[in-house]
Amino acid sequence: MESNNAEGVTFPAKGPAAKIRVSNFSAYYGKVQALHDVDFDILDRRITALIGPSGCGKSTFLRSLNRMNDFYSGFRVEGMATLDGEDIYGSQVNPVLIRQRVGMVFQKPNPFQKSIFENVAYGLRIQGVRSKSVLSDIVEKSLRAAALWEEVKDRLSGSAFSLSGGQQQRLCIARALAVEPEVILLDEPASALDPISTARIEELMQDLKDRYTIAIVTHNMQQAARVSDRTAFFLDGTLVEIGETSRIFTNPEDSRTEDYITGRFG
Amino acid sequence: MLPAKGLSPYRRFRNAILGILTGIAFVLAVTPLLAIIYIAYDRGKNALSLSFITSMPSGFPVGIEGGIANGIVGSLILIMLASLLSVPVGVWAGLYLWDQAHTGFAKATRLLSDLLLGVPSVIWGVVGYYVFSTNTGFGFHWGFSGLAAGLTLGFIMIPIVTRVTEQALRDVPRSYIEGALALGASRFQVVRGLAVPAAITGIGTGVLLGVLNVLGQTAPLVFTNYYNTGIPHSLVGSNGSVGDLAMQIFIYIHEPSKALHVKAMAAALVLTVIVLLLDMGIRLLAWGSRKYAQRMG
Repeated sequence: MESNNAEGVTFPAKGPAAKIRVSNFSAYYGKVQALHDVDFDILDRRITALIGPSGCGKSTFLRSLNRMNDFYSGFRVEGMATLDGEDIYGSQVNPVLIRQRVGMVFQKPNPFQKSIFENVAYGLRIQGVRSKSVLSDIVEKSLRAAALWEEVKDRLSGSAFSLSGGQQQRLCIARALAVEPEVILLDEPASALDPISTARIEELMQDLKDRYTIAIVTHNMQQAARVSDRTAFFLDGTLVEIGETSRIFTNPEDSRTEDYITGRFG
Repeated sequence: MLPAKGLSPYRRFRNAILGILTGIAFVLAVTPLLAIIYIAYDRGKNALSLSFITSMPSGFPVGIEGGIANGIVGSLILIMLASLLSVPVGVWAGLYLWDQAHTGFAKATRLLSDLLLGVPSVIWGVVGYYVFSTNTGFGFHWGFSGLAAGLTLGFIMIPIVTRVTEQALRDVPRSYIEGALALGASRFQVVRGLAVPAAITGIGTGVLLGVLNVLGQTAPLVFTNYYNTGIPHSLVGSNGSVGDLAMQIFIYIHEPSKALHVKAMAAALVLTVIVLLLDMGIRLLAWGSRKYAQRMG
């Protein structure tokens, strides 16, 4: 059962509310259907892990939540996806505003060709923030939140490319945090990192989950088990099973889930 | 059993052959440039002096005395006019083709733009004549003039700038663009703040290629401008023609005069140096604007 009394004040009986709610959701790249009728709730201020073999649609699903797939020609969706009850794919919705609320960190660290400071400040600058002191404050706050401040505070004007891969990825997380999103989508954020950097990212996620709703795609089963509250298993574009991580990994309902997490395929 | 360590005779042989072929290719590529510089210097050195580039041609036949200031000034005017037309249009078209890569209209535009690249310059000249220069029929009736020639050259430049701009933007990694979009940047903010600065060196190269192409054109000038031994006060009308270095070399080398041939070769050397300076200038500009964009949002 869900132990939902950690912050029991708000939702003592029902557990946390759904931040993102997806129902009958299908996605297509041209004629190829990548997602089939997915029903899915991403709970507020919980970490949700998306697992499944390569090509199962979990990244497509993740990228659909902040409309990052809009740029593929021929991409279209059916069904419903809502953020706090607002239709993400509504005709009146500006995808830019969705992306300001739903941030994303990618598989490969992708800092901009700018200084460390300007990387974190970028999201604020494009929103029109000019005040140097406001920028400095938020940059420091974001770098602290991403557990990077101590390592870079003396070289904020240095190039982002001078950082190690793990530091670059934490910089990208800081950059995403700076615009104060409500949801953070992580697309295999540690798959290109060494174990120590991976551990730091995982610790960071635990620190962040008090304030943010997090969804993470991972190929690493142990990682999903370690960091997430809920786990969703995708296979061939369908959502096979979703539930408490502890239950999914100890007592899955679907035999395909069991086959996957015990390493029988994938 | 494994073969002995080290390179087999076959691989050593292949290494040697490919090394020699690479060397030959290098020599073949570099020789023409060195030959141009050497021949132009060797045959033109007697005419070279500071006053050669600062003074106007004089004497009879015209040019036997004095220098090539008319050609230098005229060429710069033509480059500027051509760039004023082609850089905004070409860069904008390149941005459009990159942004809307898969739409039918963009595909058609790309195809037509590539077709323009293949149009012989003499045809550009004839069309430029009918549109800009001729004083009968439709058109602008500007006469043989700098404006007619500059715009004709500008139209030649547009597809070059378009093509290279699009290619330079395509070389910007997709992950870079996505990173900015995921932060809630608009398409325009991404293009202005990230894509263009990242591609600016490539775009500069495109402009440079266009300028160098224009600098070497003579056929379009024959129909739209011809040549002027002086510097015009106006860019349109009956006295609107400008001088031009390539045209000047072409005319001098056709004159039955040893002295003018020497001047032509000296002018060729000056043209080569101008190309070099433009190259460095545009690179510097691209480098500077990228630095600027990195500091600003």
